[in-house]
Amino acid sequence: MIYAKSLLLLSATVAVVAGCATFPDAESTAQRAEQMVTEAHTLGAPALLRRTTQDESQRACSSPGGAKLTQEHSATIVKTARDSIKYPASGKLTGDWKTGAQLVADGRGQRIINGQVEKLSANGALCINCHLMDAKEVNAGNVGPALTGYGTQHGDSEAVARYTYERIYNAWAFMPCSNMPRLGASGFLTPEQIAHIVAYLIDPQSPVNK
Amino acid sequence: MAEPMKIRALLKGDVADIRVLVAHPMETGQRRDAAGALVPMHFIQSMTVTHNGNTVYEGQWSQAVSRNPVFAVRVKGAKVGDKIVVNWTDTKNDKRTDEATVTAG
Amino acid sequence: MNARCRIAAAAMVFAATVYPVSAQNKAADGFKAYDGLAVGRQMLAEDNPGDLWVERGQRLFNDKRGPKNTSLERCDLGQGPGVVKGVFATLPRYFADTNKVQDLESRLLTCMVELQGFKREDIVRDRFGTLDKDSELEALVSYVGAASNGLRMNVRLNHAQEREMYKAGEYAFYRRSGPLDFACVTCHGESGKRIRLQELPNMTKPEEMREVIATGWPAYRGTHSTVRTMQHRLYDCFWQMRLADLGFASDLSVAITTYLNYSANGGEIKLPGVRR
Repeated sequence: MIYAKSLLLLSATVAVVAGCATFPDAESTAQRAEQMVTEAHTLGAPALLRRTTQDESQRACSSPGGAKLTQEHSATIVKTARDSIKYPASGKLTGDWKTGAQLVADGRGQRIINGQVEKLSANGALCINCHLMDAKEVNAGNVGPALTGYGTQHGDSEAVARYTYERIYNAWAFMPCSNMPRLGASGFLTPEQIAHIVAYLIDPQSPVNK
Repeated sequence: MAEPMKIRALLKGDVADIRVLVAHPMETGQRRDAAGALVPMHFIQSMTVTHNGNTVYEGQWSQAVSRNPVFAVRVKGAKVGDKIVVNWTDTKNDKRTDEATVTAG
Repeated sequence: MNARCRIAAAAMVFAATVYPVSAQNKAADGFKAYDGLAVGRQMLAEDNPGDLWVERGQRLFNDKRGPKNTSLERCDLGQGPGVVKGVFATLPRYFADTNKVQDLESRLLTCMVELQGFKREDIVRDRFGTLDKDSELEALVSYVGAASNGLRMNVRLNHAQEREMYKAGEYAFYRRSGPLDFACVTCHGESGKRIRLQELPNMTKPEEMREVIATGWPAYRGTHSTVRTMQHRLYDCFWQMRLADLGFASDLSVAITTYLNYSANGGEIKLPGVRR
C-alpha cells in the first residue's frame, strides 16, 4: 500500500525532486529478506535451522498484504494437502475423548531454546490456544471459531469422524492457507493423537457437547 | 549492593499517599537456579517509614511479598514539604535508606 | 505503629502485585476476563516496577564502565553523542559508522562494544535478565526508552537501507514457515483476537500499533519480574512459532521492528510499559 502510494507520489513529483525515495521491488525484497531469514538462526542442529525453510504451499500462502491465490495455486495446495493425509494403523478415527481432553489443553511441544528442542514424550495439541471447546473453559483463545457443541451439531457418525480427522490432520485440504496449522501433515501430532481429539469433539459424553 | 528505592509522596487533603517501589529479589528459599541448586532465602525482613522523624509504619516482612514489590502507606496530618524516610533491612543484613518530600498531589 | 496500618499496607503490596482474574470471568463472556487483565495492568502501570530499571539504566549509561572505563556519553544513538531524548521515537534508523540499520538494542550493543570495550558475546549472553542475573541491556533500553516519553513515534525511511529493511520486515511479517505454518500475521492480522487470554494486537492496523509500540516494549513483565525489550518479544514469538532461536540484533529482527515501528508513527511514547 505504502509502496503504491509513494510510487504515485513519485510519478507526480518526479520533475521537481529527482531521485525521490523509492522502495526496492518485490523481487529484491524477497531475495534480501530470505537472506536475513537464513542468517537469523544460527543455534542448533541443521534440522532445527531448516524449520524456516518454506515448502511450496507455505510459500504460496505468504505474501505481503495477505496471500492472493490463483485458482491453480488453490487447487495445488488442496491436492498436496489431500495427498498428505494418513490414517491410524488401527483404522480407528475416533479414540478416547478423555485423552483428547488433556491433549487439547496442552500448549507445549517442539519449542526451541538455545538450540535445544524441549523434551517431552509427546506434543500437546494446542487446540484451546485458539478455539473455545469446553464452554466451561475460561482459558481459551478466539483466533479460530468456537467449537462448543460440535458433536451435538454434527453428530458422531463415521462420516463426521472422518471429516473431523482430516480437517485436523491437514486443514489446508479444506481451506488453503487457513490460519490453522497442518498438524498431522507436519508430524506435530500423530494419527492416534488426532483420533483422540476427534473423540473429544464428537463424543456425546465429552464436555464439548455438554 | 542494594538499588535505591523509588518513592512518591503525594498529598491529597491532609493525607500523604506514599508509594514505594523496592528493587529486591525477595528470594523465598524455594526457588532453584538454572543449575538446579536451591537459591537461599533472601528477603526484606524489616521495613520502616518515618514522617518528619516519627515512625508511622514498622513492619516485619516475609517471603510472601513479591519480587520488586510495590509498597504503599497513607499518612494522615501531612503537609507539603514534610520529610518521608523509608528504610529496609534484609535477611543478609543489607540495608537501604531513601527519602522523599511530600508534594502536592 | 498499630496492627491495622500494617495489614492495610500489606494488602496494598498484594493489590499491586496480584492479577485480578476474578470469579466473574465465566467462559460465556470470555472478553470479561480480558477486561480483568487490563485492569490488573493498569494497576501495575501506576506503580511500574520498570521505573527501577529506568533509574538503574541511567546509572549504567553515565557510569564509567567496561575495559575502557568510559561512560556512554559519546554513544550516538541517532540524536548526537550522549543524547537520549527522542532516540526511541526515531529508531530503527541507518547509522553511517556501522553502515547498518539498527534498533535500540543493537545500537547500544555497538556502543558498549566499541566505546566501553565489552565483549559482544558477553553482552549477547546476558541480553535477557533472569531471576539469577539482571540484564544491563534491559536497564539501558528502559532508560533510553523513557527519555522519549511524551514524544511521538517518528520513524523516517530516508535512507535506502531503511526502506530495504522496512520492505524486508513486511515480507517477513507475512512469511509462513515452521512446523505450525505460522507467520506474524497469523496471530496479528485481525482485531479482537486472543491466544488463550492473551490479547493480540492487530499489527496491520496503525491505530493499534501506535498504542502497542509507543507504550512498550520495553515493558515490565509481571510473569518475568523484569523489563523485556522488543528483541525479547520477537525472540519469544519465534519460540512460540517453533522456529530456531532468533539471533539477537539480527537483520531479520531489526527489519521486523522497522516495519512495525514505522506503522506506529504518531503514537505517543510512554515507557516502560507493563505487560503480563
